[in-house]
Amino acid sequence: MLRIDNLQVYYGDAHALWDISLHVSQSEICTLVGANGGGKTTLLKAICGLLAVREGSIFFDGVDLLAVKAEKRVDLGLSMCPEGRKIFPGMTVEENLAVGAYNKRVWKKKGGLLEKNYELFPKLRERRNQVSGTLSGGERQMLAIARALMSEPKLLILDEPSLGLAPKTVENVMETIKTINKTGVTILLVEQNVNISLQISQRGYVIESGRIVMHESSDVLLSSPHVKQAYLGL
Amino acid sequence: MTNFPVIFEQIVNGLVLGSMYALVASGLTLIWGTMKMLNFAHGELYMLGGFGLYFAVSLLHLPPWTSVPLVLAAVFILAVLLEKGLISPLLGRPDWDVSAVVATLGIGIFIQNFAFKFWGGDFQEVPYMIPGTVTSLGVTLAWHRLYILGLALAVLIAFWQGMKKTRFGLALRATAQESEAATLMGIPYRKIYTLTFSISASLAALAGTALAPIFSVNPWMGSGPLIKAFIVVILGGLGSFVGAILGGFIIGISESLSVLFLGSGWKDLICFLLLILVLVFKPAGLLGGKEW
Repeated sequence: MLRIDNLQVYYGDAHALWDISLHVSQSEICTLVGANGGGKTTLLKAICGLLAVREGSIFFDGVDLLAVKAEKRVDLGLSMCPEGRKIFPGMTVEENLAVGAYNKRVWKKKGGLLEKNYELFPKLRERRNQVSGTLSGGERQMLAIARALMSEPKLLILDEPSLGLAPKTVENVMETIKTINKTGVTILLVEQNVNISLQISQRGYVIESGRIVMHESSDVLLSSPHVKQAYLGL
Repeated sequence: MTNFPVIFEQIVNGLVLGSMYALVASGLTLIWGTMKMLNFAHGELYMLGGFGLYFAVSLLHLPPWTSVPLVLAAVFILAVLLEKGLISPLLGRPDWDVSAVVATLGIGIFIQNFAFKFWGGDFQEVPYMIPGTVTSLGVTLAWHRLYILGLALAVLIAFWQGMKKTRFGLALRATAQESEAATLMGIPYRKIYTLTFSISASLAALAGTALAPIFSVNPWMGSGPLIKAFIVVILGGLGSFVGAILGGFIIGISESLSVLFLGSGWKDLICFLLLILVLVFKPAGLLGGKEW
């Protein structure tokens, strides 16, 4: 579904991503793990078109993404839930979700999509008229995920959904991600929380200093000495 | 000498003036909130509204009610061209926050001198939208002033509703609050910027058409309202739409009441005093920092 080959990305003159190759297959949960500053968010920005790519290719469902403007990538069924939620703080929960359905493909049916997401996130229905800036961290994360789902994506990319959340809330978020995946949405999960993200995914990539250093099934990664030592503190 | 009808009349005048300040200031605050840029050409866009109405009514002999929409459309189109040609290429470049502001300053100076060179420095008269006066409770008011108040309230309310209810309004607010996330939702922020700039320009021009019959039309008519609008948005909180409206009415009413009780020499002093007080006690402005 998503296929990245030999990607090179620069911040100005600084080489940020080296020769990245990665693929995500239909209906799986694929994880990209790595420490802070490893290049995870940079890679996602390149996928979403927020950052220019110097070399390499990104194909999504057979379409050359690099030829598609950032705001048009939603049309194709690609949706991203950004790091730090980035909800619209002055808008109500429902307005946030409505903006998620901005794309023409889904705007007309946003009523039905709202209903669907409220079913998935009952808490958001309770707080539909609350200004989203006043929500708790976990609620904001749920809102950000629901907002990303409003465009009916084929591939949902989640950037650090566990960031800054209490362990119990992290578990909830991961459960939700599994549920979303079961409804047929393919997921690329990008996480610092290596343990929990590898537990819910089938495959994983490890990124370090802008390079993919490992690519294995999640079970193999969880038991690999390198991952254990570097990320799990074992 | 100061009796009820006089006070009442001055309060209505303050409301009328305030509604216009609110209209001009809401455009400024809209651009700031969305594009994070100050528009120093705002006063000249207001002036173009005045001249547009003057040309349409005096030279083309169009009725005022047809002229106003035509003038707004013309200013809107001009603003689209200005934004796309001169401002948009600067946005996102290094130091754009300075260069874009300087570009608007340049646009303003150019328009003002263009008007002086080709349209002359004479003060031109424009007829009232609705001639005549109305007398009620011992107070006499020009219909035109009531037209101004009604127009401003209608436009501001319609605009507010549009921001809350329409797809474009939501996209505009989303861009203002989190532009990167807005892009991720598929919102083309460059288009939003262009439209924001042009709508804001039309709001200024609308105020220009409304006040032209009262203050007369000339190339410098925009500088006074621009300075007032800056006071208003800073008082109300930069970027806050409701703040701009609140600030507009506060400044309008304080001005007309200070004219009544202290004399007209005091009115600007009172305005700046209010501004300083707000800045001392609430540096972000009355409603500053609040997203809408």
